[in-house]
Amino acid sequence: MRVTVDVKGEATHEIDTDELPGDSTSAAGQSASSDGTSNPESTYADLLTAVDLSPHEVSVLVDGRPVPEDQPVDADHVTVLRLIKGG
Amino acid sequence: MDCNRCEAEAVMHAAYSGAHLCADHFRESVDKRVRRRVRRDDLVPHDISPEDPLTWVIGLSGGKDSVVLAKILHETFAEDPRIELVGLTIHEGIEGYRDKSVDACVELADDLDIRHEVVSYAEEFGIEMDDVVEDDPENMAACAYCGVFRRDLLSRYADELEADLLLTGHNLDDEAQTALMNFLEGDVEQIAKHFDASLGPLSERDEQDEFVPRAKPLRDVPEKEVALYAHLEDLPAHITECPHASEAYRGEIQQLLYGLEENHPGTRHSIISGYEELAGVLADEYSGDDGADLRECGECGSTTTREICRKCSLLESLA
Repeated sequence: MRVTVDVKGEATHEIDTDELPGDSTSAAGQSASSDGTSNPESTYADLLTAVDLSPHEVSVLVDGRPVPEDQPVDADHVTVLRLIKGG
Repeated sequence: MDCNRCEAEAVMHAAYSGAHLCADHFRESVDKRVRRRVRRDDLVPHDISPEDPLTWVIGLSGGKDSVVLAKILHETFAEDPRIELVGLTIHEGIEGYRDKSVDACVELADDLDIRHEVVSYAEEFGIEMDDVVEDDPENMAACAYCGVFRRDLLSRYADELEADLLLTGHNLDDEAQTALMNFLEGDVEQIAKHFDASLGPLSERDEQDEFVPRAKPLRDVPEKEVALYAHLEDLPAHITECPHASEAYRGEIQQLLYGLEENHPGTRHSIISGYEELAGVLADEYSGDDGADLRECGECGSTTTREICRKCSLLESLA
């Protein structure tokens, strides 16, 4: 699946989730790979890795709603908000 | 994915606890952590009364952290006649940045109906950070100047407002970075000072008559969760980074911690937990050393270890 990752204020990336390596530590990764046959489903965290961001420095929004990063990607457009430093 | 506590959809996952929470349960979890920290740090003494309330001054920059802190403290203590909250905002003179965040502070203080004071480098020191960065007489990063001036004004105005406590919005990431930096710099005495300055429970700190005690009730909450809280509550947090921000070493530590947290969830919590315990031990070890060589600055009269305080010497080189 092709996903548009819009990092607000920075770049927009087109990511093909079939080409992502997957994250064996994610909930989705664990469940998908438990039978040892299929590629793990890509998560929002995998999308972030692909654009070189840590889940700890951004929020991921789908249709304006925050989503847990360990969940399988279920949208073709996600918005990524970087944390703003400073209190 | 459902929330672990109800059937609503989860909006976040905390790898360090394994929790998936919906918006309501996430907000409740943040509120609880802040209130627990207020209790653990003994911030509300048992012997206060409505006749003689405490004044808590919140350093309100207009960024997400201080805005979230002000909101939660207000929700917790708005009905408590023993505590009065005051917002204190400092305008550093950074064009296109601070004006907007001061607006966010004014809006929040209006919404919460709390007293709000704004002070500026221009009025207090006759300088603006935009010019300081241009001049840079000491060949330092902008934050090095700004930190000295900000700490001076926070202390001075906390004093003038007769504050019993000065509260700042440092989050878990900020504190874990500072802890790691102190370790890596081998600055053992600084770790001891950190306990007496802001980390230790008020009842366990060495008395420091010269300074208003500080507290950081947001320090159990990761930065990402503070931002999510501000987003979900639609708080008027200012969303632009300071154009002069340049703490290179802190940025390096931050990236290191992101990697560690990813591979070993809970690293920030364990760093802080161990650091606080160690700081308590060190504060005992160094107890009595502090304050021996404190004196009044020859220029402004503020408490310092030097003949002329750092702020006055910086102002002199900027003149």
